[in-house]
Amino acid sequence: MALTTDPPALIPQLITEDVEPPPLSLAQLTWRRFRRHRMAMLGVVILVLLILYSYGGALLVSETYANHNDLTIVLDAPTAAHPFGTDTTGRDILARTVYGGQISLLIGLTAVIVETLVGIFVGAIAGYYGGWVDSLLMRMTEAVLNIPQIFLLLVMAKFFGGKIPNLTIGGREFSGSVVVIILIIGMTSWPYLARIVRAEFLSIKEREFILAARATGTPTWEIIFKHILPNSIAPIVVSATLGVAGAITLEAYISFLGLGVRAPTATWGNMLEGAYQYIDQGAYWLWLFPGLLIVLIVLSINFLGDGLRDALDPRSRTV
Amino acid sequence: MTRYIIRRLLQAIPLLFLISIALFVLMQNVGDPLATMGGRTATRAADRERLTRQLGLDKPIYVQYLYWLIGNDWARIDLDGDGVAETQGTRRGALRGDFGTSLVNRGVPVTTVVWDRLPNTLLLMLTSELVIILGALVIGIYAALRQYSLLDNLVTALSFIGFSMPIFFIALAAIYIFSVYFKRWGLPSLPATGMFDPEYGKTPAQILVHMILPVASISIISLAAYSRYIRSTMLEVLGQDYIRTARSKGLPKREVIFIHALKNASLPIVTVVGLDIPLLLGGAIVTERIFAWPGMGRLFLDHLERGDTPVVMGIMMLIAFAVVIFQLITDITYAWLDPRIRYH
Amino acid sequence: MQSRKPYLFLIVILSLILSSCAGGGGAGGNGKTATFIFTQEFDTLNPLYTNMWFSAITNQIWNCWAWTFDDQNNPIPVLVKEMPSATNGGISPDGKVITLALRDDIVWSDGKKITSEDFKFTFDMTMDPKNAVATTFPYDKITSLETPDAKTVVMTFAEPYAPWVGTLWHGIIPAHILQPVYEKDGTLDNAEWNRKPTVGCGPFVFKEWESGSFTRFVTNTKYWLDKPKLGEIFIRFVPDDAAQIAALVNGEGDLGTFFANSDVPSLEQAGVQVYRVYSGYNEGVYFYLHPEKSHPALRDVRVRKAIVMAIDRFSFAKQVLLDLTKPAVTDWDNMPYVDPSLQPYPFDPEGAKKLLDEAGWIDSNSDGTRDKDGVELVLKYGTTTREVRKNIQAVAQEQLAAVGIKVDLYNYESDQYFAGYNEGGPAAHGDLDMFQYSATPQFPDPDVADWLCNNIPSDDNPAGSNWSALCDTELDALFQLQATQVDFAARQQTFFTITKYIYDQVYWFGLWQDPDLWGVNKRLTNVKISGATPFFNIAEWDLVK
Repeated sequence: MALTTDPPALIPQLITEDVEPPPLSLAQLTWRRFRRHRMAMLGVVILVLLILYSYGGALLVSETYANHNDLTIVLDAPTAAHPFGTDTTGRDILARTVYGGQISLLIGLTAVIVETLVGIFVGAIAGYYGGWVDSLLMRMTEAVLNIPQIFLLLVMAKFFGGKIPNLTIGGREFSGSVVVIILIIGMTSWPYLARIVRAEFLSIKEREFILAARATGTPTWEIIFKHILPNSIAPIVVSATLGVAGAITLEAYISFLGLGVRAPTATWGNMLEGAYQYIDQGAYWLWLFPGLLIVLIVLSINFLGDGLRDALDPRSRTV
Repeated sequence: MTRYIIRRLLQAIPLLFLISIALFVLMQNVGDPLATMGGRTATRAADRERLTRQLGLDKPIYVQYLYWLIGNDWARIDLDGDGVAETQGTRRGALRGDFGTSLVNRGVPVTTVVWDRLPNTLLLMLTSELVIILGALVIGIYAALRQYSLLDNLVTALSFIGFSMPIFFIALAAIYIFSVYFKRWGLPSLPATGMFDPEYGKTPAQILVHMILPVASISIISLAAYSRYIRSTMLEVLGQDYIRTARSKGLPKREVIFIHALKNASLPIVTVVGLDIPLLLGGAIVTERIFAWPGMGRLFLDHLERGDTPVVMGIMMLIAFAVVIFQLITDITYAWLDPRIRYH
Repeated sequence: MQSRKPYLFLIVILSLILSSCAGGGGAGGNGKTATFIFTQEFDTLNPLYTNMWFSAITNQIWNCWAWTFDDQNNPIPVLVKEMPSATNGGISPDGKVITLALRDDIVWSDGKKITSEDFKFTFDMTMDPKNAVATTFPYDKITSLETPDAKTVVMTFAEPYAPWVGTLWHGIIPAHILQPVYEKDGTLDNAEWNRKPTVGCGPFVFKEWESGSFTRFVTNTKYWLDKPKLGEIFIRFVPDDAAQIAALVNGEGDLGTFFANSDVPSLEQAGVQVYRVYSGYNEGVYFYLHPEKSHPALRDVRVRKAIVMAIDRFSFAKQVLLDLTKPAVTDWDNMPYVDPSLQPYPFDPEGAKKLLDEAGWIDSNSDGTRDKDGVELVLKYGTTTREVRKNIQAVAQEQLAAVGIKVDLYNYESDQYFAGYNEGGPAAHGDLDMFQYSATPQFPDPDVADWLCNNIPSDDNPAGSNWSALCDTELDALFQLQATQVDFAARQQTFFTITKYIYDQVYWFGLWQDPDLWGVNKRLTNVKISGATPFFNIAEWDLVK
């Protein structure tokens, strides 16, 4: 138990645990533990910087500029005008990493939202109702789990590929393939989360306060979403955080296998894929910058997730 | 126990059905096997029409699925396009062990196509799994014993960086460093592609040398997750009363760690490994592709690219089946190792 | 855990033994093994059953064509004594009967004589509905094939068939091996020979093929032409382009092909000789020109011309393709069938704007995109996922936007892109206004069927390959005519008219000439590569240590 007040001297440990200080809220407690996790704090700092880079950077360079080809400066090394150099068709890599970062972050976040929504829904229903509903939903979950995710992703990427038209949201045009990637990553990642949520529900629904709520005639949806769900939020948050990193990496893999986000929309993943053939040609700036950014973001999110797990897990008292 | 196993196996039947139907539907829309047939130009009109009929691709999807599942040796099919079904079907269907023939390698049974690649994938992936487990044990135990030391943080950070890098990048960088640049600098270099050098033939030594780079690439990305896992279970076990007791009794530290703590920490690791093994059958799609390793991942990719439904279905069903079996084995092993668990 | 490790070790060792005993013996023949790197594995080796270029090019290694083509695209007789012609009586005066006189010394690698029976068998098997062969072309043009004696093959056509030199007898199959298989199975589909053609007729003979890994060919001692100097050809399948380049650079491979222009500098720097061989491919864009369903703007030749002029193909070829190629003018560039007066349309955005203004496409609502009668000039432009194609798309999109044409870009995997009308193929189905790929005629023959009126895909004719959906009766007649002109000069004249016509109407426009690239390690000598039959002189190739 993390104690903040000075324990009175010479009181045996047993008693320390009985005399609790005024209870801290979960958020406060978590923050206290989290703060001490140096790696996690570093992760947060990097993550904030990367978000600033992608979204703040967009205030300085326009998307048109990021997609501007200049065939007279193909594959130029970094200069003052193009600090990250230019790519195979003379586009400015700095500007492309800014806009690519937005799409990569967007994919990471929204794919996880899809994943979390489906995962919570399936897990909650299965865990709460049990019986044949549980059996059916869990068979579905197993069905998805039984196929390696990358296989399923490739099949689904081809299934949906080219079938979704380009979208214009807020004046910006998005390649339909962005939606495809988000959907398929979300649709193949949820089973793990569904299992976690189901397990939480199974254990929580038998607790007294739930039985009490049920006895007083609280509507089912209220029990599920207001009583049980908040109590099982910790593992969901951790899993979702790590899911963002997973989605960003998966996007890079799908790009590498040729089924990623389509031109001219840049992502860090497809920039790296396009650069991959130039690894031996001295054009290090093609792969260095998107590669570095992917490593940084995945790393920082993983640190963050790790810290969150330690901070939220009531068993990890070591910090 | 026997009743439990039978019940689990019975439960697996609808599961496998569900998977096969979903995949079959997906596969119908992932590409046209007759588009170019691997050539550089689109298939000619007359040939497309003839092949669609000969390969049975003109049938409605439920008929195609039925033929896939239970065969067509009870039906007659039309091969010459005169509208009269006069030829006896020959397929026996997946339920009778016939997964059809590959559309790409025309006429070759799916089982042969898959079986040819299975040993290569097993070799690559099991070796990697061994390297990962051993490496993760060393790193994980070390990190648990020296928690939050500089080295713990360094090792953790390094393994995280490995985990964060896309494997294709690690793989290609490794090829360039160890097989291109090393050769250029006159250092002993490693081969980049394939399983052996034709000058020396396919000897175990050649295969081992050719395995170094792919195994290293696969291991680097998974080492992080495993070592973190071992670190946390070790930490948990080390905090238990009986370990404290053992240490206070004055047992040597080495013995406490490696015999008592590790033994108890390994139980959850067994589960993870047991669940991982069937998924290894899929091989590492990306690694096998880059290092030209003739395994199942590449087989999947090559045949998915050409819409070869029978082979893709064969691979996926094999994996799904393996997952079911290994899950069962893991559960049983677990119950056997841990007497607190009982299945009814 | 402890008990698990030895168990894992055991499996590893077991699979090591299993994989290594699968074959792959040491160096063959005289110890001169040349390693080729192919990025695609063959589907089958039987020439009847494959459309794959990578499989077809091995025919000169282990199988045999009636004649091959040298690096000047001239036919060299292999199985025939001389090329049939009107003067030697091989071609009948009406051009409908072609007679082949076979050499006396031709034998299969098992010593059996190659006779007209093998030709007849190859023809019969191709046309047999029980065999799911890749294509029946061009044997379906033959009305009857007769074998008056063991060394004579007489082919009769319904009408004079001009493309015969470029299309006939691309590989034959041994009747004495496969006839019994056909009689037993009722089909050749499952024949073991398809994957293990141990009996062949090339300078090398098939030895071994391990799935996903390699194929080996060793010297054929029975070969009747020059004896090969190499002892073994080892073809390794390396699917990844970058890994292929690495293997060529570090000397693991002696020959590789199908890489991008951007790889040329690093190969040359490593001392790899790069050959650029024209095989009829020209990268270009087709328009969807269906009389009712197409975009109204594209039906106007001025708009089509404006689109070409707005795209800077010259800079692209120079900068992105590293000046290794140049813009293509027609689909027949680098063949003797192109009107010599034709030059690529200039890059002229101002001229393009003028043409669009003339055609009535102006930006009346000031949204940056031209329109006419309430229709915006927005076009769908699709192609496959190849890197260089994505690059030209990005450049074209920006340059077309500069003249007021908005294009939406689409990319597909090739099996989806080239899918048929019924299978939802975007080009076949007319979903794209502009679709790009690189096509070849029956190289070195110029024949194509993609412009014929009766070939437009529709619900009634879903297999049609005229994806432009253009029916221009004048052009149609010209294409019908050339296919029957056995006389080279007359046919050449017809093609001059065709190429000029397509150029003037801008039914197609070229982006760049797309020669095949071959990288050959300097230790391989005497290498010549032709467009139609790349390994035509492989028997002369040698290896210096």
